[in-house]
Amino acid sequence: MKGLLFSMVSFLLLATSSCVGGKSEVQKKEGYPEIFPDYIGVTIPSGIAPLNFRIEWDSVRYSELYIENSDGKILRVKAEQTLKMPLDEWKHLLETSKGDSLMFHLDVNRNGEWYRFSPFPVYVSGDPIDYGLSYRLIAPGYEIYSKMGIYQRSLDNFNQNAIVENTLFQGSCMNCHSYRQTNAANMSLHIRGPQGGTVLLEDGNLKVLDTKTKETLSKCVYPYWHPTGNYIAYSVNKTQQTFHAANEKRVEVFDHASDIVIFDVNKNTLFSCDHLQSKNHMETFPAFSPDGKSLFFCSARVDTLPLQIKNIKYNLMRIDFDPETGMFGSAIDTLFNAAELDQSVSFPRPSYDGRFIVYTKFNYGNFSIWHPEADLWLYDTETGINKPLETLNSDQTESYHSWSSNSRWMVFSSRRVNGLYTMPFIAHIDEQGNAGKPFLLPQEDPDFYDMTFYSFNVPEFINQPVNMNLGQLEEAVKNEHVQLSFEKRND
Amino acid sequence: MLKNISVSGLSSLFLGLLIFLFFGLFYSFHLHYQEQYQLFLFTADYFLERVMQPGGLSNYLGSFFTQFYFYPWVGSLIIATLLILFQRSLLGTIRNLGAAKDFFVLSFFPVLMYWGLLCDENYLTGGLVAILFISLSNYLYTFSRSGLVKILFILLGIPLLYLIAGGSVLFFFLFLLIYELNEKTRSWKFLLLFNSLGVLLVLAIPFFLKNRLGMFPLVPFIVGVNYFRFPINFPVIVGIIGLLLVLLPFLSKFLSKGNFRLKKNILLVEVLIFFLFGSWFIYRSVDFEREGIMEYDFYVRMRKWEEIIHKAEEKAPQSPLSVTCLNLALGKKGQLGDRMFEFIQKGDEGLIPDFTKDFTIPMVAGEVYYHLGFINTAQRFSFEAMEALPDYQKSVRTMKRLAETSLINGNYVLSKKYLKILQNTFYYRKWATYLERAMQKEDLINQHPEYGLLRSMKLDRDFFFSDQEKDMMLGIMLSEKKNKLAFEYLMAYCLLNKDIQHFVQYFPLGESLSYFRIPRHFQEALVYAWDVSKSEVIKEIPYPIRDEIKSSLNRYRKIYTSQPDPQPLLHKKFGETYWYYFHFRN
Repeated sequence: MKGLLFSMVSFLLLATSSCVGGKSEVQKKEGYPEIFPDYIGVTIPSGIAPLNFRIEWDSVRYSELYIENSDGKILRVKAEQTLKMPLDEWKHLLETSKGDSLMFHLDVNRNGEWYRFSPFPVYVSGDPIDYGLSYRLIAPGYEIYSKMGIYQRSLDNFNQNAIVENTLFQGSCMNCHSYRQTNAANMSLHIRGPQGGTVLLEDGNLKVLDTKTKETLSKCVYPYWHPTGNYIAYSVNKTQQTFHAANEKRVEVFDHASDIVIFDVNKNTLFSCDHLQSKNHMETFPAFSPDGKSLFFCSARVDTLPLQIKNIKYNLMRIDFDPETGMFGSAIDTLFNAAELDQSVSFPRPSYDGRFIVYTKFNYGNFSIWHPEADLWLYDTETGINKPLETLNSDQTESYHSWSSNSRWMVFSSRRVNGLYTMPFIAHIDEQGNAGKPFLLPQEDPDFYDMTFYSFNVPEFINQPVNMNLGQLEEAVKNEHVQLSFEKRND
Repeated sequence: MLKNISVSGLSSLFLGLLIFLFFGLFYSFHLHYQEQYQLFLFTADYFLERVMQPGGLSNYLGSFFTQFYFYPWVGSLIIATLLILFQRSLLGTIRNLGAAKDFFVLSFFPVLMYWGLLCDENYLTGGLVAILFISLSNYLYTFSRSGLVKILFILLGIPLLYLIAGGSVLFFFLFLLIYELNEKTRSWKFLLLFNSLGVLLVLAIPFFLKNRLGMFPLVPFIVGVNYFRFPINFPVIVGIIGLLLVLLPFLSKFLSKGNFRLKKNILLVEVLIFFLFGSWFIYRSVDFEREGIMEYDFYVRMRKWEEIIHKAEEKAPQSPLSVTCLNLALGKKGQLGDRMFEFIQKGDEGLIPDFTKDFTIPMVAGEVYYHLGFINTAQRFSFEAMEALPDYQKSVRTMKRLAETSLINGNYVLSKKYLKILQNTFYYRKWATYLERAMQKEDLINQHPEYGLLRSMKLDRDFFFSDQEKDMMLGIMLSEKKNKLAFEYLMAYCLLNKDIQHFVQYFPLGESLSYFRIPRHFQEALVYAWDVSKSEVIKEIPYPIRDEIKSSLNRYRKIYTSQPDPQPLLHKKFGETYWYYFHFRN
C-alpha cells in the first residue's frame, strides 16, 4: 500500500515535470538504464557520499533524475550525461531513509526525444559505516613505480587527502598500511628504499623500525594488528616476480620462502615458533582472531619455482595464541584445505564479531590480484560452511578485502570494471553472511575512474582521519631506526 | 634614439631567428623527445594537480607549450619567443634602471645560457617559464616608485611568485633588495620594514607550505619548478642565470656611470665576448649524437621505416639504440637478412635491448617487441618506461601504446580508458576518437594493417618472459605463428651472437615462410657453417646458395688464411658480409 502510494506520488511528479520545458512526449524505455558506476539495486549505508553516475548511452542531451524514498521525500537533479547530486540534500535524504529503499526515476533526452527508464532501487541499510577508507594509490605496473602514496577518504563526502606520498622519500615505495581493527590511531606502514623502515603510529607516537634480523628471512611484510594493540603479526617473505608473455595475468608474484613472525609492540622484539617457520612450508597472510586467541594464516608446501608455480596451493590454517604470555599452541588446524580442491587461498580476514572469515580463493600461488579467477569466499565459524560470496564476485579479480568495525560492511578490491585497474567496492554483509549488491566507491565525477592512472590498493576502513605528522615522520625516517631483535618461542 | 632601439630590437629578432632555426632545423628531434615524455591534459583535475605545488603554474605552462613540440617548427617558435621575451624583459629592466644603451648586449647572456640548457633534453620548458615570470616581475617592479606599491610587491608578489615560479622567487627578492638599497631616497625605516618582510616571506612561505602543497623533501620543495627532469639534481646553472638576472641590470647601471678604459668601445667588447662565449657555450651544450638517436627513435615511433634506412645509408648509426631502430626498420621492410651487416652492428643489444630501469631503452625495446607480436612484453616495457620518468609525469607515447596493446589483446574497455585520457590531449584527440569508433566494428580492427596483423600473431601459449632466452621466446613464437619478422629476428639473434650452431638448428623453422630465396646474410652463415663442418665439399650444401656467395667465401677464406694481417683487406672487400662480422667485430 505504502509502495503504491509512493509510486502514484512519483508518477504525478514525473507527469507534471514532463509538461515543463518541452518534455511533452516521453517514450517508455523498458528495463533499467545503463549507468556507470552500476548503482542499480546496490545496498548503501546512510553515511555515503552521493552516488553520482554517468548515463552509458550516446547522444544524451539532457537528463532528469528523481530520487524518492518511501516517505515521499524527493531529490531532483537535472543534468546532461553525468548526474551529480547536491551533497546536503543527498545526506538529508539518506538520513531519513535508513532501512528504506530509494527509487531512482530517470528520464533521458536523446537526440531531442525523451525516454523514461524503469525506476531502479537503491537500498539504504540501517547499519552504520565507519568514517572512511584508507588505501594506497599506485599505477598497476610491474617493477618500477612512479608517484604513489597512502591516502584517506571520508565516506560521506568526496574529500581525499594524502597520509603520505613517496615523493617525500624519493625513490621509495610504500605498502602494507594496516590499522588495529579500523582504529586510525594505530597504524603500521612500510617505507621501502634506501631510507626505508616500518613506520609505527601509536596514539600519536611515531617510530620507525628496522625489522630485518639475522634470524628472519626479510623485513616484515604483510601485517595484522592484534586486537589489544600489543602485537602485530607480520609475514617475512622471499619474493620474486616474473612476467607472462601471453596471458591475461601479466605478472606472477611468488614466494620462494616465507614465515610468520609476531612483533611485540612494547618490547620491540619479533618472535615466532616452528609451526610458523616451517622449512617445508611457506606461511603467510597472518590475521588474529577478534578475541586475540587465534592466529589465522595461509600455508603452502614448498616447490620449485617458478617452474612449478601452478602446484603452489595455500590452505587456510589456525594456531592458538596466548596474548598474555605471547606463546603459541602446539598444533595447527587446517580450516580450509584448498589444496585438496586444487585451489589456493589468500588474505583471511575475520569479521570483528568473530562469526566469519572472508578469504580470496584462486587457482594457485598467493598473489591473487593478478589472478582474474580470484573470488571472495566466506567461512562461517559457527557452521563451518565455506561458500563463495556470489553477489560480490565477478569474472575479474576480487582480491584484498577488509571489514568495517561493526562487521556489517566489507570493502574489497576488484578489477571488474576494466580488467586491470583495481577499484574499491563496498558491500553490506548481514548477520547470516548474506551479501548485498556491492557499490563502487562514489566519486564526485563518475569519469574519475576512467581518467585516473592509479589502482586502489589494500582498501581498509578507518574510524577517524589518520593524523600523521609528516615533519616527525621525515625526522624519524632520517634518524636511526629501532632495530628489532628476534626470539623463537616453542612450547 | 630610433637607431639604437632598432639595433637592440634587430639583435633580439636576429637571436630569436637563430634560435628558431636552430631548433627547427638541427634540433627538432629533441623537441619530439620532450613531447613524448609528458601527457598534457585539458582537464580541470590535471590543471589543479599540476598547479597546486610550488612553481606549479610554470610547470603547467611548460607542459602546455611542450605538447606543441610535436610540430617542431611550432616548438622552435615557442622556445624562441620565450627566450626573446626573457631577453626583452631583462633589457627593459636594465634600461629602466638607467643603464646606457650600449649595455643592451648584456641582456643576451642569460638567454644564451638558457638556450644552451635547453639543448639538454632533460631541461624542461617549465623552468624557462619560471625564469621568465621572475624577469617580467623584476621589470614590472622598476616602473613603480611608490613605497606602498613596493610593499605590496613584497607582500603579494613573493607568495604569488612562489606559487607560480617556485624557489626562483629568491631572485625576485634579491632584485628588490638591491634595487631598494640603491634608492637613496628611502628611509632606513622603510628599508628595515621592506627587507624584514621580504626575508620573512621568502623563508617562511616554503616552510609553511611544505607538505601542504605536495610532499617533497625540503630542497626540491623550495626549488619547486622542474627545471630538470631529475628533481634530485639541483640546477646550478639555472641558479647562475637567476643571479645574472638580478645582477646584470645593476652592473649595467654601474658600468654606465663609471669610467674605465674600454668604455669607449664597450659595445664592441660586449659583442666580441658574447660571440666567443656564446659559441663556446652552445658548442659544449649541443649533442648531435643524441639528436641522431632521437631521430631514429622518432621514426620508429611514427613507423617511418624507409626514413630510418635512408638515414643509416647516409651515415651508419653507432649507438646500440639507433642500431636497434635500424634493425627493426630493416626487418619491417624485409631487408634484415639481406642488409644488416652493411651497417655496424652492436650485438644482440642492438637487436633487442635488455630491460633496464629507465625511460628510454625500454621504450625502444618495447617497440621491437610490439612489432614482433610480443604484445604483453611491449605493453610492459612501455608502461615501465613511463613509470621510470623521474619527474613523476606520464607519457603520451606510452598512453597511446597502452591503448593499442589493450586493443590488440581484445580488452576494449581498458583500451577505451586510455583513449578517453588521450581524448583530452591536443594532438592525439582525433586519433583516439577514431580508434574508439573503430572498436565498435570488430572487422575494422581485424582488417587493420597493423592491429589486425599483430592480433593474428598473438601468442596462444603462455610462458614467462626472459631477457636471457630471447631465442627461445622467438622460437616459441615461430612454432605457433608464421611470423616472418620473428624468424628473421631469431636468425639475426644467432648471427649477432656468433652462434652458428643454433642458427643452423633454427633455420628450418623458416621453411614454411614465403621466401623466394634465402636472404643474403643467412646464405653467408649457412655456407660458412657448411664450410666449417664439411670443408672441401661445398658443392653438396643442401641449401640453395648462390654461386656468387660460394665463390666469395672461397676468396674470403683464401685471404683469411694466407695473409698475416687479413683484416684491412677483408674489411675492404668483405666488410659487409657476415663472415667479416663473425671474425672481426666484437
